[in-house]
Amino acid sequence: MKILGRQILLENKLFLRSFEDIFWTLAFPTFFMVLYGLIYRDTVWEDFNMRAIDYTMPGIIILALMVTGIMATVTGFVEDRQKGIYRRLSLTPVKRQAIIGSQIIYRYIIMLVQTIIITVIATLAFNVKINGSYLLLWAIITVGALCFLSLGFLMTTFIKNARTATPISMIVFFGLMFLGGLFFPNTIMPDFLNKISLVLPSTHLNNALRMVVIEGSGIKAMWKELLITGAWIVGCLGLSIKFFKWE
Amino acid sequence: MSVDIEVKNLTKKYGTLTAVDNISFSIKNGEIFGLLGPNGAGKTTTVEMIEGLRKPDGGTISITGIDALARPEKIKEIIGVQLQSTSIYNKIRVKEAIDLFGSYYKKSIPSDKILDIVSLNDKKNAYYATLSGGQKQRLALALALVNDPQVLFLDEPTTGLDPQARRNVWGIIENLKKESKTIILTTHYMEEAEKLCSRVAIIDMGKIIATDTPENLIISSGLESSIEFECDEFDFEKLFNGLSSVGKVVKLDNGRCAIYAKNNAATLKELTDFTTENNINIKNINTKSATLEDVFLSMTGRKLRE
Repeated sequence: MKILGRQILLENKLFLRSFEDIFWTLAFPTFFMVLYGLIYRDTVWEDFNMRAIDYTMPGIIILALMVTGIMATVTGFVEDRQKGIYRRLSLTPVKRQAIIGSQIIYRYIIMLVQTIIITVIATLAFNVKINGSYLLLWAIITVGALCFLSLGFLMTTFIKNARTATPISMIVFFGLMFLGGLFFPNTIMPDFLNKISLVLPSTHLNNALRMVVIEGSGIKAMWKELLITGAWIVGCLGLSIKFFKWE
Repeated sequence: MSVDIEVKNLTKKYGTLTAVDNISFSIKNGEIFGLLGPNGAGKTTTVEMIEGLRKPDGGTISITGIDALARPEKIKEIIGVQLQSTSIYNKIRVKEAIDLFGSYYKKSIPSDKILDIVSLNDKKNAYYATLSGGQKQRLALALALVNDPQVLFLDEPTTGLDPQARRNVWGIIENLKKESKTIILTTHYMEEAEKLCSRVAIIDMGKIIATDTPENLIISSGLESSIEFECDEFDFEKLFNGLSSVGKVVKLDNGRCAIYAKNNAATLKELTDFTTENNINIKNINTKSATLEDVFLSMTGRKLRE
């Protein structure tokens, strides 16, 4: 437990020293939030009968979670693995559960920080209202964090080196972003893309988040979304535990 | 003296290739034991099995009397390992890294003392990524020392270092020897082995072909001195083997020939007499005392650094 705590502290320290990590996980989503806020201002989307920024804000949170869970996790882990860091650590008595546990917890902390930053900017600067409960919002963020982290770690099992890690995680990231309907509704997509969209976890997490933020729904209203995301978590987690590679 | 490492019938196969073939040796407390051989000879596979990084296909390993294959967790506490290429987090500071690794062990040496041993005191707040090759290597050594291990594994500790940095690392290893740590050193630098090792084992194609002190290996091979020269003749092995004072003739690359003998002066005279008499053209003659490199060459017919 002490080692886990120390390891989490270390990961956070290393994070704060890395310009790239800070840029991609904190500055980039924040930039999106501010940019969309400035572009849309109080523009109303007639089709949905709501302000564009209200419609978009949950998508920016999901985007932030994906940056950390997929992009940062995949490139970071594959690079460290390729450098032989985990191989070196395996020669010391430190437990692998402590290493992987610290990574998951530290990424989760980053995701919570991202969510808080975006929510604060959205509510204070652009008058976005969180209509549902903050507890449920946090619960969805946690489910989303688990989902993207397990997907990210699953991706590390088949990506061999750091050079391919970035493009592959980019493809997955953009696929989940555009097809997940984070910034425009998936109802405008052609039928076959819409069908793909309905399978993706980003679509359902985004819908669940919208229900909380915009409609103020309770957990019962989003059982289908959470069930599908849950299935992704179980699948990705199971496969990544089975195929996990330390070297 | 007690035995710290006992390896018996160690074997590792990759498909049809036997990388390590039934190797046995034992290392006494306080020895620096060198494993010599060209790349791909099986030295790294051998040490990695002893360290617990790879599973052997056969054989037993005991470290300070503990069965290493049955109790790897116990072994990790008493060994220190410097891998051939250790890399750690780019943005970790030197002292932080030593403290971090120290925290993994039940007992550890304070980082300030380690920094002194490897002389990295002036770099203790530097990021890992900013260190030079020699400094990185010394940090790798520091990380191998944090738990004050009884047994130390050094895999090619000076490969890729400039002469100055190499001598630095040698100095550190010699100091460790004084603390009667048991060290397994793999290297393909003969000079390094001759300077540091109490005993060396020469490995080729997965087998140990000789084990002894560096001096004894050279003496017992009967190759105390060598004469190297260029020669146009095609079949010079046959030609020079007939000379009475010649111990062994070995063909080198690019038309060079090496003659090993007990007494350079006598052999040189016999050689020049013979070549003048028979009108054989030889040039660029070098004579020197034989080294482990020569022993290896004569045993395997190959150079170490191929």
